[in-house]
Amino acid sequence: MDYSMRTYLKLIAIHIRAQLQYRASFMLDFFAMLLIGLAEFGSIALALERFDQVGGWVLGEVAFLYGLVYFSFGCMDMIFSGFDPRYFGESVRRGEFDKLLLRPIDITLQVLSSQFVLRRLGRMAQGIFILSIAFNAIEIHWTLGKLLFLPVVVLSQIFFFGGLFVAGATFSFWTIESIEAVNIFTYGGSEMISYPMHIYQQGLRRFFTYILPAIFMNYYPALYFLEKPDPFGFPAYAPFLSPLVGVGIFLIAMIFWNFGLRYYQSTGT
Amino acid sequence: MRLFWELAKLSFRRQMAYRAAALAGLATNFFFGMLRAMLLIALYGGRNEAAGITLQAAITFTGLSQALIGPLSMFNWFDLMRTVYSGDVGSDLLKPMNYFTFWLAQDFGRALASFLWRAVTIMLAYMLVFDLTFPRTPVQWLFVFLSMILGWLVSFSWRFLVNLSAFWTPNAIGVGRFFFIISWFLSGFLMPLRFYPQWLIQLAHLTPFAHTVNTIVEIYLGVLTEQEMLLAMVNQAIWAIGLVTVSHIVMRAGVRRLVIQGG
Repeated sequence: MDYSMRTYLKLIAIHIRAQLQYRASFMLDFFAMLLIGLAEFGSIALALERFDQVGGWVLGEVAFLYGLVYFSFGCMDMIFSGFDPRYFGESVRRGEFDKLLLRPIDITLQVLSSQFVLRRLGRMAQGIFILSIAFNAIEIHWTLGKLLFLPVVVLSQIFFFGGLFVAGATFSFWTIESIEAVNIFTYGGSEMISYPMHIYQQGLRRFFTYILPAIFMNYYPALYFLEKPDPFGFPAYAPFLSPLVGVGIFLIAMIFWNFGLRYYQSTGT
Repeated sequence: MRLFWELAKLSFRRQMAYRAAALAGLATNFFFGMLRAMLLIALYGGRNEAAGITLQAAITFTGLSQALIGPLSMFNWFDLMRTVYSGDVGSDLLKPMNYFTFWLAQDFGRALASFLWRAVTIMLAYMLVFDLTFPRTPVQWLFVFLSMILGWLVSFSWRFLVNLSAFWTPNAIGVGRFFFIISWFLSGFLMPLRFYPQWLIQLAHLTPFAHTVNTIVEIYLGVLTEQEMLLAMVNQAIWAIGLVTVSHIVMRAGVRRLVIQGG
């Protein structure tokens, strides 16, 4: 464990140094990332200016949902870049993944450290900015419990989306072409939980409650932080399910990944 | 002219060959459109109309904006700059054809295939789920298609210009990303421009972006009078002519500067 951790950190440090070599390119990408958030959230904020509310939630409250996911997703996207289905599918297709298999280091660790997209820091910065809008616009009654729970929610979301990336990457062992469909769950999922879940149509919401329980990742924690009533009447512990769901999804994804690895090795390419 | 159609046809066929691969992309566009539609329904919150756009029209907007992603290459288009970095640009410049027209023809074929396969499919899928708004008269339909062609020309020209930056800088993709992101915001792709404050709407119309998605959408939804529609299309045409002219000037300067690396 100690050895693999050191290997991991060393490889990540190399990625970071390599990306900082092209400073102009890095800065451009960093600001482009910032700008994406500004454009996307800006359009929502301006619409909320006109409409005052969405599903009874005001701008500050939506900013809380939005900023939290934005930050976590950016963080996850940086750490799990190697599993990003878009790039991973490509590396399987080009045979780069096969090269990794030949090396005497744990394959999962290698994939994890095969990419580290530093420009995602832009997305994280944007998430913090949107969160600061939330903290300015609305009064959150901070308690010790809430302060301790906030980082737990962020970590849970990182595990949750990381799991989706790993599962998506695993699919590329079988199919390259339909990889884009995974975007529905990763990017679509993060977009979806950026807004209060009660605005969605019932069938869709049920899917994201009982099959892929994304509702517990952001919406329920937000109900706890913002002290809002639960419109669906779940038990009072529902907001605290996020670590369980996040880590659970991640573990299931890892089992699937290991299964996929076995399958892949047995066919060879 | 014959060369133009041949190139467009080739590019059309190439695009159509990837139909299966595009299916997943279609599903993603459709899903995002649905999310947007539900968001707008919640924003309207029982209202029937806002900024001159009915709820039904707003829902139709979410379908239209997703449908236009393909034909107008809303997310990215870095094909030209890639040829600059790979060196292929050298042989493209030797072709007995204007370099702008060479890419225009290919983008036309690509856009047309994308329109027939992606845009139409998304709108048909939308019709199964929602009660949509349609143009009311044949003239309005005609205007929709005209403004789509003009909007595509504006869109292609600014994308071409952004790609030309590869003649000067090794970071053209970063430069390109900037413009694409700004275009989402100012073209009325993320939200109809009418929802924004007046000053921002005016600002958006000072850029080419508002004359792509937003104009097409407003003509389709019928929020403009006949006179306003004509004026909007004249504006599109002026932008198109202006950008095509600037493209040629910048292109000439770029070719003079170009140093082909590798090959």
